[in-house]
Amino acid sequence: MTLQPAILIPWLPALSAGLCGLCCVRKSWRRLAAPLTIGAIFASFLLAVLVSPAVKPFDPAEPDLAPHVVTLFSWIHVGDFRVDMAYFLDPLTLLMLMVVCGVGTLVAVYAAGYMAGDRGYARFFAGVSLFIFAMTTLVMADNLVLLYLGWEGVGLCSYLLIGFYYQKPSAVAAAKKAFIVNRIGDLGFALGIFLIYSTFHTVSLAEVLSLAHHVEEPTTAHLWIPFLLMLGAFGKSAQIPLYVWLPDAMEGPTPVSALIHAATMVTAGVYMIARLLPVFELSPYALPTVAIVGAVTALFAATIALCQYDLKRIYAYSTISQLGYMFLGVGVLSTVGGMFHLFTHAFFKALLFLTAGSVMHALAGQLDLRKISGLRTRMPITCLLMLFGCLALAGFPFTAGFFSKDLILADVLVRGLSLHQPLYTTLAVVGLVTAFLTAFYTFRLWFRVFLGPTRYELGDEHHAADGAHAAGHAADAHDIKIEHVHDAHEMPWLMNAPLVVLAVGALFAGLFCKSWLAGLVTQSSAAAAAAHSLHAHATLCGYDPHLAMEFISSAVAVLGIAAAAYFHWLNRPAADSVAARYRGLVSLLNHKYYVDEIYDALIVRPLRALGGLCFVLDRLIVEGLVALVGFLPRLLGLGLQPTQQGALQGYGLGMAAGIAILALLIALALGT
Amino acid sequence: MDMAALLNWMIFLPLIGGVLCLAVASRQAARQVALWTSIATFVLSVILAAGYYGQGYAGVQFVTQLRWIDSINVEYRTGVDGLSLPLVLLTTALSVLVVIASWDIQKAAKAYLALYLFLMTGMLGVFLALDLFLFYVFFEVSLLPMYFLIGVWGGPRKEYAAIKFFLYTLFGSICLLVVMLGIYFFTPEAAAGGASGGGQNTWDMIRLQTDPAIGALFARGGPHWGFAKLAFWLTLIAFLVKLPGVPFHTWLPDAHVEAPTPISMILAGVLLKMGGYAMMRITWPFFPDAAILFWKCAAGLGVISIVYGAFCAMAQADWKKLVAYSSVSHMGYVLLGLAVLTRAGFDGAYYQMIAHGITSAMMFFLVGVVYDRAHHRQIDRLGGLWLKWPAYSGWAAVGFFAAMGLPGLCGFVGEVMVLLGTFQAVGNPGFPTALVYTYGVLAASGVILTAGYILWMFQRVYMGPQRAEYAGYEPVKGREYFIMVTLGLAALVFGVVPYLVFVMTNPTFDGIMKIISVAVPAAQTALGG
Repeated sequence: MTLQPAILIPWLPALSAGLCGLCCVRKSWRRLAAPLTIGAIFASFLLAVLVSPAVKPFDPAEPDLAPHVVTLFSWIHVGDFRVDMAYFLDPLTLLMLMVVCGVGTLVAVYAAGYMAGDRGYARFFAGVSLFIFAMTTLVMADNLVLLYLGWEGVGLCSYLLIGFYYQKPSAVAAAKKAFIVNRIGDLGFALGIFLIYSTFHTVSLAEVLSLAHHVEEPTTAHLWIPFLLMLGAFGKSAQIPLYVWLPDAMEGPTPVSALIHAATMVTAGVYMIARLLPVFELSPYALPTVAIVGAVTALFAATIALCQYDLKRIYAYSTISQLGYMFLGVGVLSTVGGMFHLFTHAFFKALLFLTAGSVMHALAGQLDLRKISGLRTRMPITCLLMLFGCLALAGFPFTAGFFSKDLILADVLVRGLSLHQPLYTTLAVVGLVTAFLTAFYTFRLWFRVFLGPTRYELGDEHHAADGAHAAGHAADAHDIKIEHVHDAHEMPWLMNAPLVVLAVGALFAGLFCKSWLAGLVTQSSAAAAAAHSLHAHATLCGYDPHLAMEFISSAVAVLGIAAAAYFHWLNRPAADSVAARYRGLVSLLNHKYYVDEIYDALIVRPLRALGGLCFVLDRLIVEGLVALVGFLPRLLGLGLQPTQQGALQGYGLGMAAGIAILALLIALALGT
Repeated sequence: MDMAALLNWMIFLPLIGGVLCLAVASRQAARQVALWTSIATFVLSVILAAGYYGQGYAGVQFVTQLRWIDSINVEYRTGVDGLSLPLVLLTTALSVLVVIASWDIQKAAKAYLALYLFLMTGMLGVFLALDLFLFYVFFEVSLLPMYFLIGVWGGPRKEYAAIKFFLYTLFGSICLLVVMLGIYFFTPEAAAGGASGGGQNTWDMIRLQTDPAIGALFARGGPHWGFAKLAFWLTLIAFLVKLPGVPFHTWLPDAHVEAPTPISMILAGVLLKMGGYAMMRITWPFFPDAAILFWKCAAGLGVISIVYGAFCAMAQADWKKLVAYSSVSHMGYVLLGLAVLTRAGFDGAYYQMIAHGITSAMMFFLVGVVYDRAHHRQIDRLGGLWLKWPAYSGWAAVGFFAAMGLPGLCGFVGEVMVLLGTFQAVGNPGFPTALVYTYGVLAASGVILTAGYILWMFQRVYMGPQRAEYAGYEPVKGREYFIMVTLGLAALVFGVVPYLVFVMTNPTFDGIMKIISVAVPAAQTALGG
């Protein structure tokens, strides 16, 4: 088996995107879009499995390109600058491909049912296919420019799909915000790439990794590179200070939130750091910074999630928080932990979003936690599926999330204990506090939605899409097919089947995939660090820290769930009275610490004002100068005008005077 | 037919077609003449390209050399190389689309089309002339039809815009003329070395670039170093007006806003490229040492154009003006890429011109489609176009995203190569690291501003709820789709396979970079000493 077929992995979805675009043309073709997309993504998944035996381990210390790179064609080639459409495959790539294409397939199957009847059915799947193309390109890129192509490409697809309901001003604003905030991060990423090019004189991934690995004494430029790249990761993976776009991104259709804004795209930053680990090790402060930002973001987002009422936004903040864990993981060189959490998170967060989508679908767009209660009788399967997802997110013992989160926290603790650095010990504590909050807000949601008295209000949209269409486009009202009854109902099996697969993953991926995954990660460039990462020399109160952490985090998770059960299931008035007592805090959290408002006042408005200022400058100063230059000849003309009075005597006099002056000049010239 | 003759036919065929346009009886006939003339010109250019493509030619090919004005040694000399061929193809291809876009022009259609075809001859002549005098003639020839096309067929303030355009460009031309005279009178001195040329005055642009004896005249420390410094600035200003670069750009928003849609397309798509092309053909290779000496100023102007143009675009309420200012911003990358004197920068600058030729023409056309129906261009009075015309809006997304420099579309390649080229300059003698990084960071931050103004515009024009007055708008015509789809596909193809262009340009650019990089050690010794 060779690597050659891997070329098709991005291009099959690209082809499908083109065909789905064609499907937009005719109404009767629209339904073809879903099978095309599902088929293409699944084929890519199979191809990834198929080439996996041919994928060789990669070691930056002794890079051997030949077994890893397959070239499609020469993209940009001028002078000695060369960028190819080439793909780099090592076990880490493989892991990401399986996550992306695997979850992608499941979400596409779910979406085939979820999006049914929408006017933009084909457009939706074209976007999803294009996203898979961009995302697989991102993870398979053999050079940083191609990686950047994928990086921007997923940003574009995210933009297009968040703004999918383009008649809704809030959706469009969210899409734009996502793109621009991401572009700010991308600027850092791009500058990092440029700096890599100007220091290492190559953009090839393998060469950069190897060169970075062998740098003995880092220069100033070397020290800057990881911080610039980091900015890109923080933008894409929604970390402080660039996380603000992700909660708003929930304006997109729910399958998009599940696929792009939970399972795959937002993990690109984690992947990038893991992939470029030798580069991040150039600066001694880079990875600790990543760890601190990750931990702080995890805690920060978890506190916000406590006081949100929108189902999807709670999950969005939880995604930010979980991504923070992953950054914490890679930041303490626990790349196995970080990637492991990425892997399990893909399962349970996709599951949570899709079940939230089912609730939303059933309740005609209703997402407000205060208006939903006791759905267990109406949607028993969804109830159960979401429970599995919640257990995994809360880190309940032996679920997938438990193992991966635990590994990260234990590695942080080991680092803190064995290096005697209080920083890492603190981070471990922050992680544990976050774990408690996570368990609490996760089950706050679940208890509120499914338990308690059965009482709910339907939303104002029959189906988010159709409702918006009906409002915005009365002329096409005949286009809307009312297929669903206007009452809470269970989902069809087309939509529930992929959820079952995800639920199995959410429950068991931790238990059964750990050693497989650890093998993959340690055989890739991310292992360069893992090799010299610390082994457990330290003890915690006489126990092995890993083992101790398992008990501590189990207890924390159970405590969090119990607290949530008390306040949000058994004794809901108690929750209200607590909220009333700390009204200021609740309001602060509910308004997300007013970060959006602060950014708007400090960044958005000044920039727009600067634009206005530039234009005024252009019109007044630059134009004014030009007008002045244009005015001078006219002024001259005005000054001379009186002399042209039309009297012959005057002209005669002028002529005579002129001749006299000339004669004088000539005489003077000859005389000297 | 031999290629050299074909090349000349290509230049003058539009001229013949233009005369024919005036001669035929009806408007419809004139349209047919214009269409088929432009198609024939395009076919000729494709044959020319086919003869050139993949041969690995470095120097000028298919040269015609005829004596013209003996007394001052002017020759009629034309030919094509990697620097001109892609721009010629851009011109001829875009011309066909522009004729199609002009189909609905009613006012004096025959004269309009004739003038347009004359303009084509001027543009092709600029790219294909190899004699400096001939170049100047074509440079001026392209100016006049444009003046009338804006001044007669334009909007409410057309006279103002036309005269402004004319005066600005004329100002530039005079700067160029001064340099030409200097070159003419100084070149005989090169023969003192006796290497070549025999002591004659020369206008031969290729010899002016490559003859080391002439190069020595204008080199640092050479007998005419002072003139070379002045000439660098004069030619730079002459071509900055065309490019346009800050602070010589203010004619552009006015000209674009007043010009009819097809003329905006050709103005942004091709005429601006004459500035960039002339810099690559004349300013930099003629005076490489001066280019090194003044790189900071030139690159600085480029960076200012990028950022300042983007900010101005952000402030626009008029949709077409926004697109016009985006040209200022995008063409700033051309200047920056050239000024940093690296291979990636040079290629990036060139590719940016091709890409901008595609995207700017497309953006102006997209604006025009709406303007033809709405009769206004106020962004705030539009919105929800996606619901009205989903297919049109889909292609609009391709066009605007390509302009935004999204990877996979043509705008990305030029921008990223210019930026890489800028960073590549770090460590070159005479390029202080801190300054290079500052320029690089500022230029790169332009991509955020670009995303800002384009997405903000896109949101306000295409998204959101539909407006009631759209009901009366006629649907987008097949002809209009043809133009959008062609340009959109071009944006895609040149984003994915930039090699199509580089295979033509690479050997030629190797030669040009030798001229520029030969000069680098000279500067090194001078700066070191």
